[in-house]
Amino acid sequence: MSIAAFVTIAFMFAMYVMLDGYDLGVATVGALIARGERDRSAAMASIGPFWNGNEVWLIAAAAALFALFPAAYAAAFSGFYLPFIIVLWLLMLRGIALELREHFPSEVWHQFWDAAFAASSALLIFVFGIALGNLLRGVPLDAAGYFAGTFAFLLNPYALLVGVFALATLAQHGAAFAALRLDGDLGLRAARMLRALWWAVLPLYLAVTAATFAVHGGVARWLLAMPLLSLAELAGVWWGARSQRPERAFAMSLAFVATLLTAAAGTLFPYLLPAFPAGRGGISIFSAAPSAVALTCALTVTLGGIVIVGIYSPIVWRRMGGKLRAE
Amino acid sequence: MLVDRLQFAFTIMFHYLFPIGTMGLAPFVAAYTWKAARKRDEESARIAAFWTKIFAINFAAGVVTGIPMEFQFGTNWAAFSRNTGSVVGQPLAMEGMFAFFLESVFLGALLYRRRGLPSTFVAWAGVMVCAGAWLSGFFVVATNAWMQHPVGYRIAADGTILLENIWRVLFSPFSYWQFAHVLSGAILAGSFIVAGVGAYYLLSRRDEAIGRRLVRTGSIVAFAFALIVVFPTGDRNGRDVTQYQPVKLAAEEGLFTTEREAPLAIIGMPDVTRKRLIDPIFVPDFLSFLSYGNYKANVNGLDAYARELWPPVELTYYSYHIMVGLGTIFAAAATVAVLLLAFGRLWSARWMLWILMLLMPFPFIANEAGWVATEVGRQPWIVYGLMKTAAGGSPTVSNGETIFTLMGFAGMYFLLGFLFLYLTLREIGLGPSRENPA
Repeated sequence: MSIAAFVTIAFMFAMYVMLDGYDLGVATVGALIARGERDRSAAMASIGPFWNGNEVWLIAAAAALFALFPAAYAAAFSGFYLPFIIVLWLLMLRGIALELREHFPSEVWHQFWDAAFAASSALLIFVFGIALGNLLRGVPLDAAGYFAGTFAFLLNPYALLVGVFALATLAQHGAAFAALRLDGDLGLRAARMLRALWWAVLPLYLAVTAATFAVHGGVARWLLAMPLLSLAELAGVWWGARSQRPERAFAMSLAFVATLLTAAAGTLFPYLLPAFPAGRGGISIFSAAPSAVALTCALTVTLGGIVIVGIYSPIVWRRMGGKLRAE
Repeated sequence: MLVDRLQFAFTIMFHYLFPIGTMGLAPFVAAYTWKAARKRDEESARIAAFWTKIFAINFAAGVVTGIPMEFQFGTNWAAFSRNTGSVVGQPLAMEGMFAFFLESVFLGALLYRRRGLPSTFVAWAGVMVCAGAWLSGFFVVATNAWMQHPVGYRIAADGTILLENIWRVLFSPFSYWQFAHVLSGAILAGSFIVAGVGAYYLLSRRDEAIGRRLVRTGSIVAFAFALIVVFPTGDRNGRDVTQYQPVKLAAEEGLFTTEREAPLAIIGMPDVTRKRLIDPIFVPDFLSFLSYGNYKANVNGLDAYARELWPPVELTYYSYHIMVGLGTIFAAAATVAVLLLAFGRLWSARWMLWILMLLMPFPFIANEAGWVATEVGRQPWIVYGLMKTAAGGSPTVSNGETIFTLMGFAGMYFLLGFLFLYLTLREIGLGPSRENPA
């Protein structure tokens, strides 16, 4: 049952990255592809109805972690106090920027919030990337399972590399979404941006994969198939972008992100917070699990919730979807 | 530890201003949206669009200030989270899965809708947003109610509190009466906002047709909920406190000595060193009646409990009295407004419109004060009778770190509060007649 809980949590975080990933990505590349006020408004409107629902996946995943593995939740959130608070502030700034920009008709006002939105979104991706990098590499833990390292320790070359890779990947993801949703010149520029970013993602992917094998050493055998799958999906993104089929590029990009997170979760398993250096143990799903009653309850809630959300979200998305024009 | 408490108090109190608005305005947004979509009534459509905008600003501020709440359990209260997560995590996970998604997915649909969307879809989207806002409130109050009166748990060998029965946690009487009281308090605030904005339009002699509709609806709903807040919800909530947290009751009422035929202090200032009320005005025997339904009943005063189990008396006493006092004023004002309305005199009674307009911020103060009484009155416990607040903190986080983040929150919230007020007042200034009925 602990394994089912691990898979559920991993699934929720993966949903978060796949969905909020594209609106974070649009925020990041929006500033680069937009020419003037109307374009930026259109880029914002393309994610407007969706971003908040997407972000809920993060909140829900954190709450599920709290219910399923309280010890891991407590150790991670208090151990990485400052990084978590920084993530919080960035999330808040981003929410304020996107929601409040529409409520005042002034170009200066819009420019300010657009810049704040782009900067906070890009930084957020970078910080999430660094966090994932450290998670894969492991962190020093004391006997009670609390983080025993320093802030500077978290800024190691491997984690920074993952941060840059995350930025490129989600920017590409966002560009694919923008190419899909935006019409006219703006959509074409998004498609061009997508192809340019692809050339950044490919080498970074190879570097991160090699580095992960280097820092982590032994991984489960089935994970060796992941790089091949990822490369195939990356090729699919290119093919979609080349053949002017943005829906294929976006679908392939979604699959690429999903595969990356599956690989990351598989590498972590069975740890929620592995110790550094690798092989020194850590907080695993078996050491952090609460009572069987709590596990059953939280699993029922999260899985039931996922099913319900899975029913109504696509209905709403379909109603709100379709091409947008800069107006 | 003091800084962690300050940070939590500051962030939760600032955050809670917005859920009052969303839970209280959501039924109005849903009702006007429904009316506009089903009856194809253009005026209702303008009103619906107007309140949806104000709701959206409120919602955005509520979301961004709510994220830190979800995180702070882990960052600043790690020992509490580790020890009780098996129980407390459940309703919070339910809130995420069943309430947050509902509210944000459908609000996105309401805000960014375009022409040609089926009217049934729009009407139901409003209802879903309202359901999401209320469900969210329920799960949070259920969490809090468990901390007030823990049930449905067992204690493991290592002292960890483990979940035993989730239904008992969710549906303990403490939980549903507290939720009913909290929700009706929020709806009372929402209806005073609707009536107050309408009164402002009438006093400014603009948008008068819409202004009358807002004042009429707002004051009728305010009248109903001003009563529901007191009876049955406030009354039943008070009885739970009497039964399970008698020391909190004594602090709220400023009752220092145990008495038969205990009097109710209407006003007065507690003097904790001399253990008495300064300049009190009493209603004889009435506290015994309110607590036990019997004028002769014995009510335990603070002297019946060990000094270290007292909550901070002054804060508990004042916040409770502010809530009750304001509640009385709301009931009186709403009653007069409804009577004037019934006799067709409200539109010419400009003094009453002034009162309705000026009352707008006060339900927010009353709601906040009620929570301060509940939470401060729970001290020194974080989980009543099971775990002390002092034992709930994060062993790895130092005061210096928390002071830094507290300053950061203060700066950000100051900016947010300013923007929120400015944008909301601006929307009210623009008014519903400028809205484009979609």
